Amino acid sequence: MKENELLERVKEVVQQFADPNRKVEHDTAFVKDLGLESIQIIEMLCEIEDAFDLVIGESELSDVVTVADLSAVVEKNLR
Amino acid sequence: MGLLDNLNDAATKKETLDNLPINPTQITIDKILSPTEAIVSNNKVILAGTNNYLGLTFSPECISAGHEALEAEGTGTTGSRMANGTYSGHLDLETEIAQLFNMNHAMVFSTGYSANLGTLVALLGRDDVALIDSEAHASLYDGCRLSGADVLRFKHNDPESLEKRLKRLGERAKSTLVIVEGLYSIRGDCAPLEEFIELKNRYGCYILVDEAHSLGLFGETGAGLASERGVIDSTDFIVGTFSKSLGSIGGFCVSNHKETSIFKYSSRPYIFTASPSPSVVATTRAALQLMKKGTHLRKKAWDNANDLHGRLSAIGLNIGQIISPIVGASFNDDNLGYSFWSKLLELGVYTNLILPPAAPDGGSVIRCSVTAAHSRAQIGSIGDAFARVAESLGLGKAA
Repeated sequence: MKENELLERVKEVVQQFADPNRKVEHDTAFVKDLGLESIQIIEMLCEIEDAFDLVIGESELSDVVTVADLSAVVEKNLR
Repeated sequence: MGLLDNLNDAATKKETLDNLPINPTQITIDKILSPTEAIVSNNKVILAGTNNYLGLTFSPECISAGHEALEAEGTGTTGSRMANGTYSGHLDLETEIAQLFNMNHAMVFSTGYSANLGTLVALLGRDDVALIDSEAHASLYDGCRLSGADVLRFKHNDPESLEKRLKRLGERAKSTLVIVEGLYSIRGDCAPLEEFIELKNRYGCYILVDEAHSLGLFGETGAGLASERGVIDSTDFIVGTFSKSLGSIGGFCVSNHKETSIFKYSSRPYIFTASPSPSVVATTRAALQLMKKGTHLRKKAWDNANDLHGRLSAIGLNIGQIISPIVGASFNDDNLGYSFWSKLLELGVYTNLILPPAAPDGGSVIRCSVTAAHSRAQIGSIGDAFARVAESLGLGKAA
């Protein structure tokens, strides 16, 4: 999967957790911009894992703030 | 947007359904003839879309128990279980339900819906997590939402998906309730309870199993799937209903957790509603006894399930591999599902049409259920009707 395609797919999954009027972009931050709570972040991560058929370790998430950060982690796991 | 504009979405759905030649959500049974036959729109139909799995709704023992209770105790209790609505029959029923599951505590509610709502709101608090199967019944979802707990869904019947979520919850797993059903009502598939229980033990969470559809059909005494799979002692809470295999109305929760006895003081759906009528309690208790010794009824229901599954498989419809008294035929196209369902009705077979969003995976499902009361000839007639409709629509092997 190309980097751009991957980012678009991640954005699609994240969009399900955002307000319908809020368009998710690569620099959208999960907490600051979307106001996601911890339980929603867990659900979103599980959806991402299901969508890409991979498992993301907790330690890989410590610096993840935006959609682009998450996309980079997914890409690393897909390699 | 005004107050009544909130109903716009529902109004659109209603209009769509009303524009169909027969609205599948508004079928009236003009006259019920037996557990398996009725008059619908002047036609005699075989009922192949009920939850009357043991066929007990016309059982002479249950009817007689109901008559006696009506004569002796009147038509209703007129009060809540917490006030004037607890009669000795309610307590006897609770004792008998607890004995059935070999559990210490049982509570009886006025409906299955209120049993699920009442158990979940009593059990879950705002800091807890409800981890619920994606195809669980609406009453379980409603209970979770009303409780204010965080709600997480996992993939239907998928232990891997459940574990992924439990792992991410970390310490919160200890205040998590996993919520599943024994037998699912649309496609007739069963939960992998042994695997779920293993995860519950490993992560230290709790599990609630809704045996609404499995009660009566599984286990030596009909106690349900957890009983049949030998995991009842590891199951924290079992909820269920009297309105399916027991042919009555009402619901229950059983548990070995001593805190369950406090539910009677905290569960608002239990407290703020009138208790079941004496005749309802009496028919339920009579049906419970018949269910416990009803090995022959279970065998008949499963023989019929096997027979029907074989007939529908031979037609080539998309019904899956699972054999159970519930058979779901899936259609990608809603219109095709509707045509199939209405033609079955014309041929004298009543089934349930499940449309989105109630149908799993989108599309539509024709839910067909069999009971211990169906004769072999009736199962044959149901199979023949499916074959004729499939042929007329060019579906299955007729495609």
